[in-house]
Amino acid sequence: MFDVDKKNIPGREDLGYYAGARNMRTKGMSLVEAPIDKPLRIVDIAGGESVRRRLLAIGFHKGDVVELDSAAILKGPILVRSSVSGMRIALGRGIARKITVEVLDGRP
Amino acid sequence: MAGPDAPTVIFIGQPNCGKSTLFNSIAGLKAETSNFPGTTVKHTHSRVSIEGRLLDIIDLPGTYSLCPSDPAEKTALSHLFSEKPDLIINVVDASVLGRSLEFTLELIELGWPMVVALNMMDLAEKKGIKIDPGKLASLLGVPVVPIIASRGRGVKELLDEAFKALEHAGRPGPRTWSRDVESRVEELAGLLPQEFPLVANRRFTAVKMIEADRLFCDTMLGDLEPVLKAEVDRIRLGIESGRSAPAYEIISAERHHQALKIAEESSRVERGRKVPWDRKVDDVIMHPFYGYVILAAVFMAFFFLIFKIGNPLETLLLKPFTSLDQDLGRRLGSNVLFHLADGLVQGIGGGVAIVLPYFVPLLFFMAFLEDLGYLARAGFLLDAFMHHIGLHGKSVGPFILGFGCNVPAIVSTRILESRRDRIITSLLIPFIPCSARTTVILALVAFYLGPWTALGFYALNILLVAVLGRVLSLFTKAPSPGLILEIPTLKRPSFKNILKKTYFQLRSFLAFAWPLLIAGSVFLSLLQAFHVDRTINAALSPLIAGALGLPRELGVTLVFGFLRKELSLIMMLQALGTGQQGLLTVITKEQLLIFTVFVSFFIPCLSTFAMLWKELGRKVAFLSAGLSVSIAILLAWLIRIVV
Repeated sequence: MFDVDKKNIPGREDLGYYAGARNMRTKGMSLVEAPIDKPLRIVDIAGGESVRRRLLAIGFHKGDVVELDSAAILKGPILVRSSVSGMRIALGRGIARKITVEVLDGRP
Repeated sequence: MAGPDAPTVIFIGQPNCGKSTLFNSIAGLKAETSNFPGTTVKHTHSRVSIEGRLLDIIDLPGTYSLCPSDPAEKTALSHLFSEKPDLIINVVDASVLGRSLEFTLELIELGWPMVVALNMMDLAEKKGIKIDPGKLASLLGVPVVPIIASRGRGVKELLDEAFKALEHAGRPGPRTWSRDVESRVEELAGLLPQEFPLVANRRFTAVKMIEADRLFCDTMLGDLEPVLKAEVDRIRLGIESGRSAPAYEIISAERHHQALKIAEESSRVERGRKVPWDRKVDDVIMHPFYGYVILAAVFMAFFFLIFKIGNPLETLLLKPFTSLDQDLGRRLGSNVLFHLADGLVQGIGGGVAIVLPYFVPLLFFMAFLEDLGYLARAGFLLDAFMHHIGLHGKSVGPFILGFGCNVPAIVSTRILESRRDRIITSLLIPFIPCSARTTVILALVAFYLGPWTALGFYALNILLVAVLGRVLSLFTKAPSPGLILEIPTLKRPSFKNILKKTYFQLRSFLAFAWPLLIAGSVFLSLLQAFHVDRTINAALSPLIAGALGLPRELGVTLVFGFLRKELSLIMMLQALGTGQQGLLTVITKEQLLIFTVFVSFFIPCLSTFAMLWKELGRKVAFLSAGLSVSIAILLAWLIRIVV
């Protein structure tokens, strides 16, 4: 429904939260392909409204910094830890594929 | 509830924040708690008297936000709004403060008197998070009481604060958001007509109209107030155009950033250089390879430990009952009185010697694993497996509960968002060996045929669930929405909590199942005394003797199996007219196996059937029964051919 501009996340600068981190950006990738134990920023959450709502409610928002803890074998879920709240969730592959992240070279 | 009016206090919090633990320490043994998100699916009411003051306290199922997304959350919220509480106690997991405060901020928007119970302070400290409750309270504008519910610390202070808040009835004010959002919310709040059915207050109602589920809110509003609906759409669009994101996301982001800011200002994080112990442990137990090895090992250990504890106890406890029974036979001959006494001894003996030796350790270890937080990790590990059978890891919760008892497992399928997943999971649950059946498998199969056969039986059972799940998912088109599961922090299990839980579960066996077992045994004895059992056996003979090749005397036990499955198995001894020691002289090992397989699957027990009907409708209940009968006949027949 909403085409999200991957280069510019509206609202981020307004909130002054992640200012200065933008120039450290590398190209976006899905959470499934992201490296383990590196700070990643969520740049986009695609997928249906219900999935997006659930992710928001559980505390995963666009602009958040997360880390990938581990990935399960086969088509298993991945384990994501939010660097802002310290909470961890398991995400199924299908959902993880719809989350675009970028690797941060240093912490913002 | 009768009695004088008492103020209503609602406990609300996000899943796994320790709400039920806190509630239990206040209300006594009422809600079940565990280290697994979504345990409380029904809400619990309790009237308690604290220092002479009455309170009506309600424990709501955990919910992440006030925009419900699964049926369990919907129940939680409809209760919150219908009960109009005098006080909200918001339980917050201090170890994930930033995340939890989002919900706190949303609750504050209600403008109802509120106290924050800052739980799991010990866990937060272990993670290196130092929270200043006073600072947090002043930032939020509501009282904050630090507690450690699992150790009962801070509970008294919390109650004192609650009484204070009830007296003052101070109403917290919401924090305002960014100008572009806030001004539009205010605009809509002003537009609401005088007679509009407000929820809590104008601003809250307006916010919910903007961010709530489009389908739900719009269809309702569209019919009633077409003009207002157009206004809501216009305002929503206004919010969205400024930030090019859906309105619910923008509002959620507002709370998110405020919550993080408050968390940052009221706490200090001392990130240690070393990785905390629980992360190290987690790295191993959730490892892509070792994780599965450990899972298998945990399961085997679970199984053998219970068997090793139960087996000698069963042998020991059976002796007096067997000799008592023989003694009765010698003295009373075979009149009605003997049958009556025989039934009584068999029923009591079955409970004491067959059920309890396995049941108690089983409940204990199950509670231990739950309290530790291992079950959510098992869910994570099993998600891949579940995907292959067409379900996602969130079904693991209900499945694992199903190993305890199928009935609450079916209730807990409410945590699944889609009806498709609910139905498939609920149809599979009756095939999961519940604690009562496990007990019987251990007490009969393992006892007579050896633990490995019993383990094989278990493996077959799980394989069956997988195959069935795969097949069932072929009939439903909608894809599974996928797993989003919070992994709670590993906890040092509280011995007190485990004991409480074991006792709680055991009590329901003692109060309900055991009397039924005794009554069933006596009833069967009487049937035998008057030779009525022969009629039933004759009627079921084509199935029992014909198809399955079993002694026809077993037919009558199937009738009891519908009440509770373990009855069939325990009463097998009685029906065959043999003591526990002489069982293998009247029935072969193969026959014992066939019978166990057949009885385990042949029909959901009465309570499970009733719960299926209540939760998912008559069609699903009968579908489940039909499925069970077909599978039971097929499997038993297959085993007969193979062995």
